Amino acid sequence: MNVDSSGRDGGGRGADQVGVSIVPTLRLLTPAALILGVGFVGLVLGYWANAAFVPGTTPEQPIDFSHRIHAGDFQIPCLYCHSQARRSPVAGVPSVNKCVGCHNTVASDRPQIREVLQYFANKEPIPWIKVHDLPDFVYFPHKRHVAAGVECQTCHGPVETMDRVTRLAPTKMGLCLDCHKQHGVEHGLDCWTCHK
Amino acid sequence: MAMIDRRDFVKLVGAGSVGAGAGFMLAETIKHPVEHLIPYPVPPEEFSQGIATWYNTVCSMCSAGCGISVRTLEGRAKKIEGNPSHPVNQGRLCALGQAGLQVLYNPDRLTAPMLRTGERGDGAFVQTTWEEGLAEAANRLSSLRASGQVDRVCFLAGGVRGHVGRLFERFMAELGSDRLLNCDFGHAQTLYTASELFFGERQLPYYDLENTRYVLSFGADFLGGWLSPVHHSLGFGRSRQGRSGVRGRFVQIEPRMSLSGAAADEWIPARPGTEGILALGIARHIVEEGGYAGADRAAWAESLAGYTTERVAEQTGIESATIVRLAEAFAGTRPSLAIGGGAVGNHTNGVDALVAVNALNYLAGNIGQTGGLVFNPVPAFGPTARAGQSGYRALLELAEDARQGRIEVLILNATNPVFAMPAAAAFEQALAEIPFIVSLSSFMDETTALADLILPSHTYLESWGDDTPEPGVGFTVAAIAQPVVAPLYNTRATADIILGLAQELGLGDALPWASAEEYIKASWREIYERAPPDAATRSFDEFWRSVLKAGIWGEETRREAAAFTVDASVIARVGVAAPEFSGSSDEYPFVLHPYSSHALHDGRAANLPWMQELPDPMTSVVYGSWVELNPATAEELELREGDLVEVQSAHGAVTVPVFVFPAIRPDVVAVPIGQGHSEYGRYAKNRGVNVLEILAPLVEPTTGSLASSATRVRLVRTGRTARIVKTGGASRQLGRGVVQTTGEGASAGPRATLKGIPITVEPA
Repeated sequence: MNVDSSGRDGGGRGADQVGVSIVPTLRLLTPAALILGVGFVGLVLGYWANAAFVPGTTPEQPIDFSHRIHAGDFQIPCLYCHSQARRSPVAGVPSVNKCVGCHNTVASDRPQIREVLQYFANKEPIPWIKVHDLPDFVYFPHKRHVAAGVECQTCHGPVETMDRVTRLAPTKMGLCLDCHKQHGVEHGLDCWTCHK
Repeated sequence: MAMIDRRDFVKLVGAGSVGAGAGFMLAETIKHPVEHLIPYPVPPEEFSQGIATWYNTVCSMCSAGCGISVRTLEGRAKKIEGNPSHPVNQGRLCALGQAGLQVLYNPDRLTAPMLRTGERGDGAFVQTTWEEGLAEAANRLSSLRASGQVDRVCFLAGGVRGHVGRLFERFMAELGSDRLLNCDFGHAQTLYTASELFFGERQLPYYDLENTRYVLSFGADFLGGWLSPVHHSLGFGRSRQGRSGVRGRFVQIEPRMSLSGAAADEWIPARPGTEGILALGIARHIVEEGGYAGADRAAWAESLAGYTTERVAEQTGIESATIVRLAEAFAGTRPSLAIGGGAVGNHTNGVDALVAVNALNYLAGNIGQTGGLVFNPVPAFGPTARAGQSGYRALLELAEDARQGRIEVLILNATNPVFAMPAAAAFEQALAEIPFIVSLSSFMDETTALADLILPSHTYLESWGDDTPEPGVGFTVAAIAQPVVAPLYNTRATADIILGLAQELGLGDALPWASAEEYIKASWREIYERAPPDAATRSFDEFWRSVLKAGIWGEETRREAAAFTVDASVIARVGVAAPEFSGSSDEYPFVLHPYSSHALHDGRAANLPWMQELPDPMTSVVYGSWVELNPATAEELELREGDLVEVQSAHGAVTVPVFVFPAIRPDVVAVPIGQGHSEYGRYAKNRGVNVLEILAPLVEPTTGSLASSATRVRLVRTGRTARIVKTGGASRQLGRGVVQTTGEGASAGPRATLKGIPITVEPA
């Protein structure tokens, strides 16, 4: 069958037949689509900008406490301050009392340390901001992981190099399962192990 | 590409900016919210983050005195469980005890001292400080002292036990007023008096349900809410299933089936108020034909001569054969136990009926026997304040004195008489005549709403105290109540408020303790010193810490099962008159049976959402009030479930929906107590009706307590309906065999039908 360049076959439809074209409608819609498209690109850019520039994984703390100085330079073991990690589900933050224990004499003239001493004098807690936080439906006991010899850095990253602590690893389920699989943890893949 | 004109350019820039902003905000909103890690400035010694600390203390939700262990995490109470070492509840706890957390965290708690500003009852208060509040109260009291009118001060307490109760007594004695009234609506006053009249001691015996083989209960809902339900449930469970080859039998006699009635082998609805007569009918059968061989047989025979089986059958509506069968089973099963209480004690013949139950135990030889009725030793702190409860009559006298202007200051603690008194007593109106009312309540209840000054107490989970359970457990036990959390608000322990008032009044010499803790500690030093083994082997501090840690302290002081004999004069006085009712049976055809709600108790738990949503165990209804009608009655009156009726007594009326309930006598209607608050917080307010309002002011003559089961009512249809909120769909099995039974009842087959639906009942 011969088909001409216009795509019509000879016997089917005549040139006089009225066709319905969506082109005019498209023309009408173009500006709206353009606006929507630009809006969507903006949305993606805005979302990315937030995630990239304001990630919230490195919150500003009330005291510029540096893990680099304490855990890195001075080699203070993690469990010296986060002593609950080996016996409790939570690692906990040291009491203000514990900070003051050293800083009564060590570097007690620095402005940030003076602030700590002020908290202690007022018997007020330092309102630290959580960096690593799991949803309430996850049961994650520090105790078991410390007992199994898991390094703190496995999940928390090289904290001893950070001036301000940042969350490097995404605290998502994959992280847990990968590690449990890798080490062949008994019942490590059961739902009920973590979601009690 | 087409040219973009200015307008389009602006549109596109606008769209892009809005999109970028929205994207940024979207990312921001799904971010993890900022959470804080709050360290202790100085942590407590035993504290570990993330590890729960359990504190043992005493439950104060009802008067049973169970021991509880409270799980606390980072200084917050999280869960209440029973203390396994406590002999009353042995690690178990009822729903009400569990709901204690909602007392602590209740959003309607009074958080600071308040002074009334508007008219009384308007609810207009202004916050004040403790110093000003205490000074205000002390000024009033000291000016009355100065003018020698200190007897115009009345302290109305809810029957607090232990040394806090003692402190109230001491305070009032030092002040010089003898108007210390203990008033708890649910207090079994008639039971104490019956015990005093028959056994000669004003304390409750121990009901050894665990070791008994046959329980005959006259109206006592001992599994539901009577006295010490957790302990009774434990004992009952063991009597049923705890012994190999023995299953304790249990017969319940009451006009409306309670939770206990539902657990019984046989439920016998005698005519309301005639249960005592039934007890004496059984007693007479045991004396005359059951082979009672005591030396006082002749005296008993003479005293009980009028209670022939035929006469008793006629009065109680129970067949003669049943009476004989009960008597033979009761006397023939060793050991057996008769208990009486609840509605039976709330009739005009209440004390006599309960004495009759005691007599039944005596005649069957259950006194002092294992599996029978065992006497308790004297409580660890001496007789308790609850034994000295003042009843309805004392409150009427108080109201009369108030009307005569003889009361200047009223101090209220842990009691809510405006809610618990019938409208006929006009108690609320009498309170209006009292110039100054101080309330120490933790909540804005109906009585506190009328106060001029509110000095709010801690809840029991924040307070020091101590307690001896009641009824006792057969040997001496006591427990210290300690705070499990730091106070949430600007409130004070009741004992601290009293001590503070004493300081202000210059009574510091007589009440020298600086705090409630110090006072309780000083009181326990006396116990330490009189217990030689403790004093010899360890210091007081060690003793104190060990009692705090264990949550219980006890002494092996079981009383010898000495032969108990009843005085001839007591035997001669045994007898139960026919009950009196308010209203004629023609005008008011039904006897009203108000019963303490399983969840809300006497209404004190109506502000706890957990208790509001706990379905009633017999009807499965939640949240509201209802009136229970026998199906035959409902059919006769052409009423169906949900029809709103006015329950009218000679003294008032309440409007409630009908609930058709097969396990109630056709001539009795039942309404639960506990709802119908006009104050008491968002969860209690304006929900259901308060049936206590319409009660007739009849009293039991011996004790002067309210005969709350002696009101007759009629039902008037309103034509409106309401939907009853309940969890159950159908209340009957409809032949599906959901609950299958074996034994003597099962073979009898359907014994009655209701609209063609068979109802299987145990043989009566």
